[in-house]
Amino acid sequence: MLSYVLRRLLGVIPVMLVVGIFVFSLLHLAPGDPAAIIAGDNATPDNIARIRTNLGLDRPLLEQFASWSWATVRGDLGVSMYSGIPVTTLVQQRMGPTFSLAITTLIVAVSIAVTLGVLAAWKAGSLLDRAVMGLAVTGFSVPVFVVGYIMVYYVSLQWRWLPVQGYKPIADGVGLWLSHLVLPSFALGLAYVALIARITRASMLEVLAEDYIRTASAKGVSTMPMLLRHALRNAAVPIVTVIGIGVALLISGVVITESVFNIPGIGRLVVDAISRRDYPIIQGSMIIFAAVYVLINLAIDISYGFLDPRIRYN
Amino acid sequence: MELITPARPSATADFIRRHPTIVIGALLLILITLAAVFAPWIARDPITFEPINRLKSPSAAFWLGTDALGRDVFARMVYGARISLIVGLAVALIAIVSGSVIGLLAGYFNAFDAIVMRLMDGIMAIPSILLAIALVALLGSSVSVVIIAISIPEVPRVTRLVRAVVLSVRDLPFVEAARSNGTRIGKLLRRHILPSTVAPLIVQATYICASAILTEAGLSFLGAGTPPEIPTWGNMIAGNRLYLQIAPWTIFAPGICLALVVLAVNLLGDGLRDRLDPRISRGI
Amino acid sequence: MTYSRRSVLTAGMAAAAVAGVGTPLLGRAQAKPREVRMVPHADLNILDPIWTTQNMAAYHGAMMYDTLFGIDANFNAQPQMVGKTDISADKKTYTFELRPGLKWHDGTPVTARDCVASIRRWQVKDGAGSHLFQRVADTPVVDDKTFRIVLKEPYGLLIDAMAKTSTPVCFMMKAEIAATDPNTQISKHIGSGPFRFVEAEYRPGSRVVYERNPDYVPRSEPASGISGGKVVKLDRVIWEIMPDAQTAASALLAGEVEFFEQPPIDILPTLNAPGIKIEVFSKLGNIGQVRLNHLHAPFNNVLARRAAQLAISQDDIQRAAIGNPEFWRTCGSNFTCGSAMGVEDGSEALMLKAPMAERQAKARELLKQSGYDGKPIVLLHATNIHVMNQTMLVVAQNLRQVGFNVQLASTDWGAVVTRRANQNPPDQGGWNVFYTYSGGNATSSPIALSAHAATGRKAWFGWPESAAIEEMRTEWAYAQGLPARKAVAGKLNKTMVEYVHDVKTGQWTQPAAYRGDRIRGILPIPEVIPWWNVERYA
Repeated sequence: MLSYVLRRLLGVIPVMLVVGIFVFSLLHLAPGDPAAIIAGDNATPDNIARIRTNLGLDRPLLEQFASWSWATVRGDLGVSMYSGIPVTTLVQQRMGPTFSLAITTLIVAVSIAVTLGVLAAWKAGSLLDRAVMGLAVTGFSVPVFVVGYIMVYYVSLQWRWLPVQGYKPIADGVGLWLSHLVLPSFALGLAYVALIARITRASMLEVLAEDYIRTASAKGVSTMPMLLRHALRNAAVPIVTVIGIGVALLISGVVITESVFNIPGIGRLVVDAISRRDYPIIQGSMIIFAAVYVLINLAIDISYGFLDPRIRYN
Repeated sequence: MELITPARPSATADFIRRHPTIVIGALLLILITLAAVFAPWIARDPITFEPINRLKSPSAAFWLGTDALGRDVFARMVYGARISLIVGLAVALIAIVSGSVIGLLAGYFNAFDAIVMRLMDGIMAIPSILLAIALVALLGSSVSVVIIAISIPEVPRVTRLVRAVVLSVRDLPFVEAARSNGTRIGKLLRRHILPSTVAPLIVQATYICASAILTEAGLSFLGAGTPPEIPTWGNMIAGNRLYLQIAPWTIFAPGICLALVVLAVNLLGDGLRDRLDPRISRGI
Repeated sequence: MTYSRRSVLTAGMAAAAVAGVGTPLLGRAQAKPREVRMVPHADLNILDPIWTTQNMAAYHGAMMYDTLFGIDANFNAQPQMVGKTDISADKKTYTFELRPGLKWHDGTPVTARDCVASIRRWQVKDGAGSHLFQRVADTPVVDDKTFRIVLKEPYGLLIDAMAKTSTPVCFMMKAEIAATDPNTQISKHIGSGPFRFVEAEYRPGSRVVYERNPDYVPRSEPASGISGGKVVKLDRVIWEIMPDAQTAASALLAGEVEFFEQPPIDILPTLNAPGIKIEVFSKLGNIGQVRLNHLHAPFNNVLARRAAQLAISQDDIQRAAIGNPEFWRTCGSNFTCGSAMGVEDGSEALMLKAPMAERQAKARELLKQSGYDGKPIVLLHATNIHVMNQTMLVVAQNLRQVGFNVQLASTDWGAVVTRRANQNPPDQGGWNVFYTYSGGNATSSPIALSAHAATGRKAWFGWPESAAIEEMRTEWAYAQGLPARKAVAGKLNKTMVEYVHDVKTGQWTQPAAYRGDRIRGILPIPEVIPWWNVERYA
C-alpha cells in the first residue's frame, strides 16, 4: 500500500510538468499584451513599451519559462502584474469561498442524485424510472446562469428568503454563511445530479443482478433495507469515481456560478486574470488546480482499498 | 374451422414499445435537424437588422419578437440550430475519434501507454472551462476554435474508456489466437479489439454531444464563446441574459430548444446504453 | 476607455418612496449606519493612478489623494491644496503656497518637495502635462510650503492642466513614493485625501474599502466639482466588484448595495422600484469614436474615409447600443456637444439629418471613386463590453451596406487593446477599424485627449496625420479667452470632419441607480465619483 502511494506521488511530477508547459506556452503565445491593458486608453505607445520592459515581458520566452518554473518549484508563484499582490496570497484569500461552494454543491448534488438513482434502480424499467431520470436530465439541460437568475428572481427578490449575492465567511456565523450558499449550490448542483444519478442507477442495477442479492430477496429480506445496506455499499466504488470526475467538472461549473452570485472565489480570480492577461495569477492558479485535482484523485484511489476489499495494492 | 391466428405486432411497433426513449430522442432530433436544414425556407436572414425594430415582443411580423439589435429571434433560433447541432456533433466526433485512436494505441502498446496517459492526466488536471477560455483568447473567437476548445478536455475521458476496454480484451483467447495467426497489428486492432469498444463509445458520444452544446452556452456567458454575430443557442441565451425580465422571448426560445435537444440526446444515450449493454438488469 | 463625468440632471424615473427593504428570514447582514456600498463599472486592479490611465484608478485616487487644484462644477480651475497663488507680471513664474493643515495619512506634513516630485512624475504620463512641461524651465522649492514653476514662455493652461479630472489626474504623493519611475507601479499607498485606503481589506476583483480620514482639513468653501470643501459624512465606503450587471441590479433592489454606478440602460425599467433613484450625474456623457487606420488601404485614402463617415449611422448605433432615446443624441462635434468647445462647424458634411438611403448612395459613389478593390477590411470587435459589442455589429452592417467587404475579428477587449497597437498591414496582425468611447469632459479638450492628435505614427491608434490639425491644436492651447478658443475649435472641427480624423458615433449619458431612500448628496464630478458630501440617512 505504501509503495503504491509513493509511486503515485512520484507520478505527479510529470503531470505537473505537462500542465506547466502547456499553460505557459498557451499564455505567452496568446495575443494580448498586459502592458497595453495596464497603460489604459489614454496612453501612448511609448508608455506601453516602457511598462512592458519593466515587467520583464520582453525577455526571451525560454528565459521567462525557466525563471518561472524554478520559482514555482520553490513555492514562489510570483505576484500579480497589476496589483503587485503575491499569487499565493490571492489564492489563499479565495480558497474559502470556492471550497465552501464546492462542498455544499457536492452535498446537494450527491444527496439528490443518489436518492434519485436508487429510486430509479428500484423501479427500473417502469414509468417512475423514466420520470426520475428525465427529471435528473432536465436539471442538466438548462445553463447554470439561467437557473441562477430565475432562482434569484423568485427566492431573493420576490419572496425575500435568501440574499441575492455575495459571500460571508463562516466566521461571521454559520447561518449567514449558509444563507449565501444555498442558491448557488442548488443552481450548480442540479447540473451534476444527472451525471451522478445515472451512475448510481447503473451500478445499483449491476449489483442488484448479482446472485447474493437474489438470494437475500428469496430469503425474504425486504427491498428497502436490502437496497441500502447491500447494494448501495457495493455500488459505492463507481459513485466515488464519478465524484472524483465531478470535482474536475465542478471547478469549471464554479467559475460561472461565482460570476452570477458574486462569490469571490478562485474561479473568478482566474477568469478576471485571463481577461487582463495577468500571467502570474493564471499560471500559478492552474498549477494549484492541477495539484488539487491530482491529490483528490489519489485520495479516491486509496479509498477504493477501503471500500472494496477485492481491490488490493501490492 | 378457421384457424384464428393472433395478430402479430409489427417489428417496428414492438421496438417503439420496448425502447420509447430511443424513439422519442431520435424523433426530436430528426425534427430539429430538419428545421435546421430547411432554415432558409422557414425564416428570414438572422444577421441583418434594423435597430428601430429592437426588443419587439412576438407578433405576426416577428414570430418570436426581436432582440436588442432588432434581429429576428425566430430566424436566429432556427439558424442557431445549425451551429449548435454542428458544435455538438463535431465535438463528439473529434473527441471519440481522437480518444479512440489514442486509447487503442495506449491500451495495446505499453511504452506508448506510459507517456500518453501522463499527457492525458495533465490535460484532465486543468479545469476544462479555463482551458477553453484561454484557447479562445489565443486563437480568436470562431466556431471552429470553440469546437476545438470544447473537444480537447473530452479526449482524455474517451481515451481512458477505450484503453480500459482494450486492456480487458487484449489478453483474451480470441485475440491471442488472432495474434498467433500472424494477423497484423492494424487489422488486429481494427477487427478484433475495436468492436468491443463500439457500444460504450456510442453512448459516450451522445453525452459528449449534449454536454458540448451546454458548454458553448457557458463559454458565451464568460465571453469566450462563438462570435455574437452568428447565432447559436448558447450565445443567444448568454448574450441576452440581461433581458430576462425585459424581453424574455429572447432567452426562452433558444433556451427551450437547447433543453429539448440536450434532453433528446440524453434520452437517446440512455436508451442506447440500456439496449447495448448486456450487464444492466431489468429490475429486481 | 470609460471616462465618466457627473452633473446633476434627473432622468424621469420613479419617485423615491421611503419604503424600506424587507428583512429576510435568514440573517442578511444589514449595513452599519454610516457605510455605503457601491458597485463600480469595473474592477480596481491597479492602485497607481499615474502609472495607468484607467478610470478606476482615478476613482481610487480621488478617494485617498488630494490635488493642488481642481475643477469646479463649471469646469473652472479652483485651488484645493494650494492656499496662495502668485503669478509674475511676465506670466512666466508661478508661485504656489500650500494651505495650512495638510497632512499625509501617516501623520507627516505635506511639503512643497512632495508636490514638486508628484508633478514631475505625473507630467511624464500625461498629454496636457507633458505639453506644459515642454515649456517649463525649472520647478524650484522655495520653502516647506512654497514652490515655483518657472516657464520659458507664458502658458495659459498651466493651472488647468493640474486641475483637470481626465486621467491621469495630478494627484499628490509623498516625495519618496513619487520618486518611483513613472513606468513602474508604486508599492506604497499614502495619500493626503479625505479618505484612507484600507489596504488590509483590499481584495482585487472583489472589494475595496475606504475609511474616513479624521485628520483631513477640508476647505471652507462649499464643495463644487472636485474643488471646495471635501466634507466626509460617512465612516466607510465599500466598493463591491460585481462582474454581472443582472446580479448588481438585483443586489440594489434587495438593498444589498446602495449605489450601482453604470446600470445598462436597457434594464433601467427593472430598477423602477420604490426607494431607487435613477440619476444622470454626467451631463456631457460619453462619446463613441470609430477609429480608422490611416496607415493602410483603404482608409489611407480620404475618399474611402468619407464613404465610411457617411455610411456609419449615429442613430442606428445609439439605438442599438443604448436604446432609450432619452439618454442619447447625435452630435456633429469632435469636442462634445453641450460643452464649451462643442461647436459643430463643418458638420453639414456628416449629413446627420439626411435619410440613410441618400447617405448610402453618396457613400457608395465615394467608395467607387476611391478605387476600393474589395479587399476585406478587419474590424476589431470587443465582445465583452455591451456598448462596444452592439456598436461594432451596427458598424459592420453599415459598412457592408455601402460595399465594404467586412471581416469581424471578435475577441475580448484585452485582445483589441493589444492588436490596435500593431502598425502592420491588416493581414499581418494589423487592423482597419476599431471602436472605443471616451468621457465627454476629456473629449472636449483638443489637447487633453490623446486621440485628438494628428501626428501620424506617433499619434493615438489610427495614426491620423495632418499638419493643419496640429497647427490648430497648438493655436487653441495658446488662445486667450473663451471666445477665441471657441473660434479655433470651430476651425479645428471643420478640418477634422473634412479630413475624417475619425468617425464619431454619437453621444450618450449613463445614469447611475442608487437607493435614494438611504443616501443623498452625490456631487456631479467628471471622471470620478466623489464620496465626500454624501450622507447616509436611513
